[in-house]
Amino acid sequence: MAHHNKEVIYGLYDDETDLMKAVKEAKEQHLEIMDVYTPFPVHGLDPILGLAESRLHIAGFVYGMIGTLTAFLGMTWVFTKDWPVIFGGKPYWSVPAFIPITFELTVLFSCVGMVITFYIVSGLGPGVTNDYLDPRITDDKFCIAFDKSEVEASAAESFLSKTGAEINHKVL
Amino acid sequence: MNQYTFSGTAKTVTIGAMIVGVVSMLLTWFMGADAYQSRFWSNFLHNGTFFLGISMMAFFFITVCITAYAGWAAVFKRVWEAMSSYMIIGFVFMVIIAVATFLHWNHLYHWTDVTAYDVNSPNYDPILDGKSGFLNSNWYLFGTIIIVGTWVIFGRKMRSLSLAEDQDQGEDFAKHRTMRKWAAAFLPIMGFSSAAMIWLWLMSVDAHWYSTLYAWHAAVSWFVSMICLTILLLIYLKSKGLYEQVTVEHMHDLGKFLFAFSIFWTYMWFSQFMLIWYANVGEETGYFLHRRTEYPVLFYANLAINFLIPFFVLMRNDTKRKFGSLSFVAIVVFIGHWIDFFLMIKPGVKINRDHAAHADGGHGVADAAHGAHDAAGHGAHEVAGHAASTFEAGYTLPGFLEIGTMIGFLGLFFFVTLTALSKAPLIAKNDPYLDESLHHHT
Repeated sequence: MAHHNKEVIYGLYDDETDLMKAVKEAKEQHLEIMDVYTPFPVHGLDPILGLAESRLHIAGFVYGMIGTLTAFLGMTWVFTKDWPVIFGGKPYWSVPAFIPITFELTVLFSCVGMVITFYIVSGLGPGVTNDYLDPRITDDKFCIAFDKSEVEASAAESFLSKTGAEINHKVL
Repeated sequence: MNQYTFSGTAKTVTIGAMIVGVVSMLLTWFMGADAYQSRFWSNFLHNGTFFLGISMMAFFFITVCITAYAGWAAVFKRVWEAMSSYMIIGFVFMVIIAVATFLHWNHLYHWTDVTAYDVNSPNYDPILDGKSGFLNSNWYLFGTIIIVGTWVIFGRKMRSLSLAEDQDQGEDFAKHRTMRKWAAAFLPIMGFSSAAMIWLWLMSVDAHWYSTLYAWHAAVSWFVSMICLTILLLIYLKSKGLYEQVTVEHMHDLGKFLFAFSIFWTYMWFSQFMLIWYANVGEETGYFLHRRTEYPVLFYANLAINFLIPFFVLMRNDTKRKFGSLSFVAIVVFIGHWIDFFLMIKPGVKINRDHAAHADGGHGVADAAHGAHDAAGHGAHEVAGHAASTFEAGYTLPGFLEIGTMIGFLGLFFFVTLTALSKAPLIAKNDPYLDESLHHHT
C-alpha cells in the first residue's frame, strides 16, 4: 500500500456537513480526490464519492459457509465414524444437537475471516506502522486529500480555501 | 401530497376481500362437521388473534421508537398508527370468542370441560385442576376484556396525542413528552400482558402442555407479520405517488427488521424445539411429535418459509433496497407466519374436538382409548392416542375456507387501516424526529 514520496495537499474541516458539501463541489469541479478521511463513518459519503460497494461481505459469506461445513461435517464424522457415543438415547447423527455448534462456527469463521481479510487489504496488522496525514483525523477533523501528481496544486488550494478548510502539505 | 384518500380500487378490493371472508365463514359454519363448530371457531381464533397481534405490534413499535428516541421511522409513523386502529375491531372479535367459550358454544379448549374439575368424575384431570386458577372461563373472558381493552385505550390515547400534535404552533414538544410517558408505561404492560394473552388464547389449546418460550415465539410471529404488512403497505402507497419522503433508506431498514426478526423467530422456534427434543420428557415432546408426524408438510415448510427464504434472499444489501425482492419476501413470510399460527392452533383443536366427541359417546370408550388418566401420562396420551388420523381439510392443511377467512380478515385489516390513514395527514409535521427521519441514511 505504501506509495513513497507522494506529495499530498490536504484540507481539514470541522464537521461532516462541511465535508460533504466540499466533496460534492470537488466532484462538480472534476477535481480528482485522492482520499477522504473521517474520524467516524459518515453516512451518505460513499455514494457521493462514487466508491464501489465493498466486496468484504462476499468474503464473509464464503468464510461463513466454510464454518458451517467444518462444524457440520466435523461433528458428523466424529459422532458417526470416529467416536460414536450414545447421548440420552439419541441417534449418533443427531442433527438438532449439531445446530448450535454449527451456528457458532459459522459466526466465528465469518468474523475472524473478515477481520483478517480487512487487515490484509488495508495493510494493517500487529507491528505495522502506517503513515498518516494528520493525527487529528482520528479525533475531530474531517479531511479531503489531493495527490499533487493528479491535480494542480493551485486549483486544489483555491478549492480548499474556498470551502473553508485548513490547508496542509505533507509528503507520504 | 400529504393526504391519502381511501377510494376506488383499494376500497373495492378490501370490501371484496371482506365479502369473501364472510362467505367463507358462513360456509364453514353451515358445513360444520361437528356439534361444536370447531373448524369455524378455530379459524376465527386463528385469524382473530393473528391480526389483533399484528395491530398491537404496530402500536408496540411506535412506543418502542418513542421510548428509544429512535427517529428514523417518524416520517411514516402514521401507517403504524393506522394499523393500530384495528385493535378495537380485534378486541370485539376476541370478546366474541371469549363469550362463546364462556357459554360453552365452542370446544376449542379442553379446560372448558367442567367434568375435568370434579374429583368424583372419571374425567377428573388433576393437571387441569392445578391450572384452573389461570385457565378458567372467567379469566379468559375478563382477562381478554381488561388486557386488550388496556391496549385499545393506550392506542387511542397515543393516536389522539399524535393528531393533537399536528395542531401545535411553535416547538415546545409538550405533546411528545406526554406521549413518551404513555409509551414508556405501555412497554411493561405489553411485555407481560401479551404473554398472558398468548398463553390463554393459543397455548391453552394444548392445555396439558406448556413451554416458556411459546409466548416469545408467537409474539415474534406477530412482529414479523407486522413488518411484512408495513413494507407492503408502504410500497403500495409509494406506487400511488404518496410518501415520496419515504426513501429506499427507510425500506432498507424495514428490510433489515424483516431479516433480523425472521432469524430471531427461528432462534425462538429452534430453542423451544431443541430443548424439548433433547430433554425428551413425555408431556413436552407430545406437542412436537404430534406436529412432526401428523403435519410434516407444514412443520418443515414453516421453517423453510420463515427462515430460509428471508435469510438467503434478504442477506444481500441490494435485495433489501429493491422493492421487488422486498415485497416478494414480505408476502411469503406473511403467509409463513399465518401458517405458523395455523400449526399452533389446529392440531390441538382437532384433538380437543375428537376428545369431546369421545366424551359425548361415553367415557368408557374415551378412557380405553386414552389409557389411565394419571397425572404424568395424560398429556402424552392425549396426543399419542390419536396418532393414526387421516387427512382432513382445514386441519391437516389449510383448505379454501381457511384461506377465504384469512383473505376476509386481511381485507378488513386493510380497510380499517386505510380508513384511519385517510383521516389524518400522512406525515406528522410536528413530530420532533421528523427532520431526522427525512434525512435518514443507512
